[in-house]
Amino acid sequence: MKPLIDVQHLNKTFHLPQRSLDTVKDRLFQLFTPNPKRVLPVLRDVTFSVSGGEFIGIVGRNGSGKSTLLKILAGIYRPDPGARIELEGRISPFLELGVGFHPELTARENVHVNAILLGLTPSQVANRFEEIIRFAELEDFVEQKLKFFSSGMQVRLAFAVAIQVDAAIFLMDEVLAVGDMAFQEKCLDVFRAFKKRGSTVILVTHSMSHVENFCDRLLVMEQGRLVFDGDVTAGIREYIRLNHAVEHG
Amino acid sequence: MALYKTDFSLRQSLEIIRVLAVTDFKLRYYGSYLGYLWSLLKPLALFSVLYIVFSVFMRWDVANYQLYLLLGIILWNFFAESTSVGVTALAARSHLIKKVYFPRIVAVIATAVSALLGLLLNLLVFFVFAFLSGLPLSSTVFLAPFFLVLLFFLILGISLLLSGLYIPFRDINQIWEVLLQLLFWLTPIVYPLSFVPEQYRFWLFLNPMTGIIQYIRILTIDGTFPSLMGTLYVFCAVVCIFLAGLFVFSRFESVAPEQL
Repeated sequence: MKPLIDVQHLNKTFHLPQRSLDTVKDRLFQLFTPNPKRVLPVLRDVTFSVSGGEFIGIVGRNGSGKSTLLKILAGIYRPDPGARIELEGRISPFLELGVGFHPELTARENVHVNAILLGLTPSQVANRFEEIIRFAELEDFVEQKLKFFSSGMQVRLAFAVAIQVDAAIFLMDEVLAVGDMAFQEKCLDVFRAFKKRGSTVILVTHSMSHVENFCDRLLVMEQGRLVFDGDVTAGIREYIRLNHAVEHG
Repeated sequence: MALYKTDFSLRQSLEIIRVLAVTDFKLRYYGSYLGYLWSLLKPLALFSVLYIVFSVFMRWDVANYQLYLLLGIILWNFFAESTSVGVTALAARSHLIKKVYFPRIVAVIATAVSALLGLLLNLLVFFVFAFLSGLPLSSTVFLAPFFLVLLFFLILGISLLLSGLYIPFRDINQIWEVLLQLLFWLTPIVYPLSFVPEQYRFWLFLNPMTGIIQYIRILTIDGTFPSLMGTLYVFCAVVCIFLAGLFVFSRFESVAPEQL
């Protein structure tokens, strides 16, 4: 069967200038002084593929490249030349707490903008709006501007929108980091429904219990490399070993 | 290279332009129903003070000067405002660009469309004004929308150029503000073209805004046709600027989520 996601030799390097030259004035005045760039490889030769219906976990220590990987899959960052990435089907990204909201627009307007950007048609937005608001438990705040929302409320709303998209692939970065226990339980219900429905999910998380409960396969990242790809139990062991290696030098 | 099979259909892109333009328009005039009136106040205030200076103090004797001036200022204001907002069309939406992929050119188009909505309202005001001053509308006015379309694509081209350059150069908006000020006086808005000595007119017409504003005015107010050569030049200039804008934009847009 043809994989839904196919990633071959993915590299991503950030070139950070030592001094920032981000105006015409700076460029003119410093035309002849060298400005060496710090080269920061964030992803190194990452190769993996995902078949339809798989629930995949990605774990790794901070700065191991998990979020950058998801951003490249979502089409937001551009990979270095030479990589081959193929994705089949619509993607619903929920990245870095997923809050692509405008503070001066109301919840209703923000939901509308985000849902259209994620590929819903206006009539689908109208039909699913009630459900989005009910899931986010924000019935009393529909006409309030987002700037008055707590961070928990914003994340709930963003997640509620993301799961209403008819996507083939859901990219979920740290969904469960915010939100109280009741909301986390609701998110877990959504994951169970995804599993039942056969949606493809890539879940970045730090919670080993979520990995154990939901994932069919685990990817472990370390310093931009994919160091493990396979069985969940063995993957968790590998991840714990990596963390211990750092603790004990 | 990356290959995404979830390419955006034209219909979805149009839908995104619509929703972004409408929310942009709402945000601009937010807070009160008087929001639109505030945006009208700027061209009207400029019009009043220029009219007093040139028509009352300096006693220029130009037929229909007040209509010439008002239409010129409304069109210029559309150009100036939409290009200066266009510079940050991507930066102002970085909250979306960093979270969701969509064709980024759509954000620039949406900004121009939302400014166009404002222009249409202002033109309505002009026509009420023209009606009240008893201007007989001739049928040539129906050709004016052709130049409005050219103006729209000129604005779009410049916005693409500037919003692309804004990614590596954050002071591009200040530079553009200075250029706008120079261009305002290098376009026959305040003074009629007939005041400009023959030998300088050619140079004024190199600026495509000169042709666009002048031709819309003679079609609407004088009831005469623009020259074919002039029309052709404006058309070619707009096409060139638009293509240059597309080229620059496509060079820089892919790094926008990382740099903004």
